[in-house]
Amino acid sequence: VRLSPLLFLWPSKKKRTMTTPTTFWRLAGMSYVQFVTRASSTVRAALKEPAKSKAMAQETFSYNSSKWVDGVQGDKVAVDTLGKAGL
Amino acid sequence: MLPQAALRRTLPTLARRALSSAAPAESGSMTLNFNLPHETIYSEAPVSQVIVPGAAGEYGITADHVPIVAELKPGILQIMHEGADPEKYFVAGGFSITHDNSVTDISCPEAVKIDDIDPAAVSSNYEAAKTAFSSAEAGSVAAAEAQIDIEVNRAMGAAIGISLS
Repeated sequence: VRLSPLLFLWPSKKKRTMTTPTTFWRLAGMSYVQFVTRASSTVRAALKEPAKSKAMAQETFSYNSSKWVDGVQGDKVAVDTLGKAGL
Repeated sequence: MLPQAALRRTLPTLARRALSSAAPAESGSMTLNFNLPHETIYSEAPVSQVIVPGAAGEYGITADHVPIVAELKPGILQIMHEGADPEKYFVAGGFSITHDNSVTDISCPEAVKIDDIDPAAVSSNYEAAKTAFSSAEAGSVAAAEAQIDIEVNRAMGAAIGISLS
């Protein structure tokens, strides 16, 4: 009995990693928002003054954290990182 | 099963396409809404053409362009006003949506004038990004961020006329 050569070309059932073509940032686990935020940051870093100081204002951020007890908000405390706020 | 589902989808689309070959617009201008999160650059402005840096390729939009949604890549956005020099912005990304009625909405997280870009900063940031990329672990977020820096700085270099490699 001659075996059909197609038998050997049939796709194997072993588990595959993602082969769908996609962007390098998706493969690294970034979302589009993270990608475009980083690209914007890069653009701002290459500006001349005074445009640069004005644009850098878009990047500055700070966190305040406060505890709610019995429906009452406690005092707000400035926090450096979300990790320090327990998140 | 599959061909029937596809046919059910294409028939309304074909009908819509047949109906959308409308008469040409009276005026030759299109309407542009160009917005950043922190600033409105143009709101309902009549312009003659916009050249958009789409991620799949650059294209120009004039009055009566077919509706299209495009993701933007870091590159130059050119706005042609009637009888004036093109106005250029370097955009970091975003989206351009052209509607049925010659209105185009362009939203970008950051857009800067080409004249505000510092060539020395672009060159040094590019070199720093290349170093960061070679020292980062392949496939990590740090490597991806370095690659973003490389590509955006290269695009900025091309916009201001310096070639980086």
